[in-house]
Amino acid sequence: MILAVIAAAIAIPVGIFSRPWHGWAVFCVGLVLQQLIHFRHFSRLDRWTRNPVVDASLEGEGAWDDIFGRLYRHEKELRAQIEQRDQTISLLRAAAQALTDGVVMLDLQNNIMFCNTTAETQLGLKLDTDQGQSILNLVRQPEFVVYLEALDFSRPLTLRPERYKDRVYAIHVIPYAGSRRLMQIKDITQADRLDQTRRDFVANVSHELRTPLTVLAGFLETMQEIELDDTERRRYLAMMADQSDRMQSIVQDLLTLSSIESAPPPDNDAVDMANLIDKLRRDAEALSAGRHTIVVDADGSGDLRGSEPELVSALANLVTNAVRYTPPGGKITLIWKTSPQGAEFAVQDTGPGIDAKHIPRLTERFYRVDRGRSRDSGGTGLGLAIVKHSLNRHQAQLDIKSEVGVGSRFAARFPASRVANQ
Amino acid sequence: MNESQHLSSQFDEELGRLRTHVLQMGGMVETQVSSAIDAYSSGEVASVKSIVEADRKINDLEKAIDDDCAHVIAKRQPTASDLRLVLGISKIVTDLERAGDEAKKIAKGVRRIYEAGHLPSQYGIGIRHLAEAALNLVRQALDAFARLDTAQAQEVIRADSDVDTEFKSIIRQLITHMMEDPRTITTSIEIISIARAIERIGDHAKNVAEQVVFVVEGRDIRHVKGQAK
Repeated sequence: MILAVIAAAIAIPVGIFSRPWHGWAVFCVGLVLQQLIHFRHFSRLDRWTRNPVVDASLEGEGAWDDIFGRLYRHEKELRAQIEQRDQTISLLRAAAQALTDGVVMLDLQNNIMFCNTTAETQLGLKLDTDQGQSILNLVRQPEFVVYLEALDFSRPLTLRPERYKDRVYAIHVIPYAGSRRLMQIKDITQADRLDQTRRDFVANVSHELRTPLTVLAGFLETMQEIELDDTERRRYLAMMADQSDRMQSIVQDLLTLSSIESAPPPDNDAVDMANLIDKLRRDAEALSAGRHTIVVDADGSGDLRGSEPELVSALANLVTNAVRYTPPGGKITLIWKTSPQGAEFAVQDTGPGIDAKHIPRLTERFYRVDRGRSRDSGGTGLGLAIVKHSLNRHQAQLDIKSEVGVGSRFAARFPASRVANQ
Repeated sequence: MNESQHLSSQFDEELGRLRTHVLQMGGMVETQVSSAIDAYSSGEVASVKSIVEADRKINDLEKAIDDDCAHVIAKRQPTASDLRLVLGISKIVTDLERAGDEAKKIAKGVRRIYEAGHLPSQYGIGIRHLAEAALNLVRQALDAFARLDTAQAQEVIRADSDVDTEFKSIIRQLITHMMEDPRTITTSIEIISIARAIERIGDHAKNVAEQVVFVVEGRDIRHVKGQAK
């Protein structure tokens, strides 16, 4: 603009004082110059819009400068906004990754839009190759396909995945943003197992108490209806007392177990091991009444730290079991060993041994290797459960090794922090 | 395969659906095989009936998918990689259906053994391991097809020979059993046919993997022994 005005200002006097066409010529030269300048700016703008960058390449004079300035600011703000949004998105993604549950985002056609690493491991997905692919292509279990296609997500699906058979997942599908879906996968293996244990426990308690109760009720009925002579009556009463003793000991053991479970952490008193082992040996000999050879192999120095009554009852239980289940003539060895890593009390017997498949379940409440046999020997089915609990409270492990026909070895391993006076 | 090259997105959708159907059928076959094996280990003969019934569904699905393939070819006249995909699918469903049949055979064999009052677990634990390996092959082959991942497909083709080797060693073991105690022959023969069915499932998985290589790379690698695959 300015150039055209200047050209006109020069051209008018030239036109007046010289010939008119000289004036026109000067004016035209001015216009051409202005066109050239505009064209230069235009081509600069053209080049910039092809590849907009925030730098100083977009500069101009006059009216162009303002326009370029506004464009520059606009571009800069836009970029800042985009960056901020990117940051928000990546924070959200990081939050989704941090979830301990698996999360999968699905679109209308059940295509995977996003999943976190937990979901990747749970379902065997790989986000970088599987994005955009239908989830049904990779999680192919018929029950999952039916669930996702039925579109009824009012209750979660409980899935035992084909890939990891020992796991149990609860899958919730939550519709959001129109018809997109968020799938939440919770690993409920532990809860499922606990549930099972609890159901088993109630069933077992009822069963264990019902058996003596039935016997007791039977005798009561007999005695009510039939006149008995004195010796028979005494015999029946003795059998009834047996059964009620049995019930009492089951209830007693259950109470012990629950009191151990809810008790505060055990004391830290030193327990004199030499004394304790001697007592255990005497108890074993009394129970065995000469039917077994009882050997003590205690080369460990040092004592245990913990609650004396609990430790005595746990270790005595291991010894009593060995005496009860080892046939006459067998040998039972009490072992006490200490090392810088900790201490071990073990009972080795030459009994019938336990099949490997029973060993992981031995400490379950009321678990019996052989139902008939163990009730004959008077166990309640809770002994080893109590032992395991007491030992756990002392940070100790119960280690069971056994070979059928050779014998068993029950060992309580204590950590160094539980050993004193070494 | 770059599906975005297609102009017709409807065609893309059709192909995508076809693929998903194949993989769902594959999922059913996986479940069949694993239920059959569970029946073998647990002796729950009741599940045999549901396996036999589910096999019918797989057969129906095979027919339906084959029809869809014919439709796609007739209607769309696909070329190049799309044509390979459709051709590959029609072969994959055949293999999947046969793998399903083998699972049914296993289930029926299990029922015969238990009904005769025998316990297959006395005949070695190799079968369970063999079956896990074969099932794993099926799963990997289907994963490779879902992701069109030739590297995994090649891995399946290689691993199938391990299953074959294991199968042979189980047979040898059973032969020793039979020679030692002729009373075990009936059950041993049943177990041999179960092992054979499992080994066939592995072979079908391998065929699926070969089709995946064909779909992706356009190379037919069937029956190419001793050459670089």
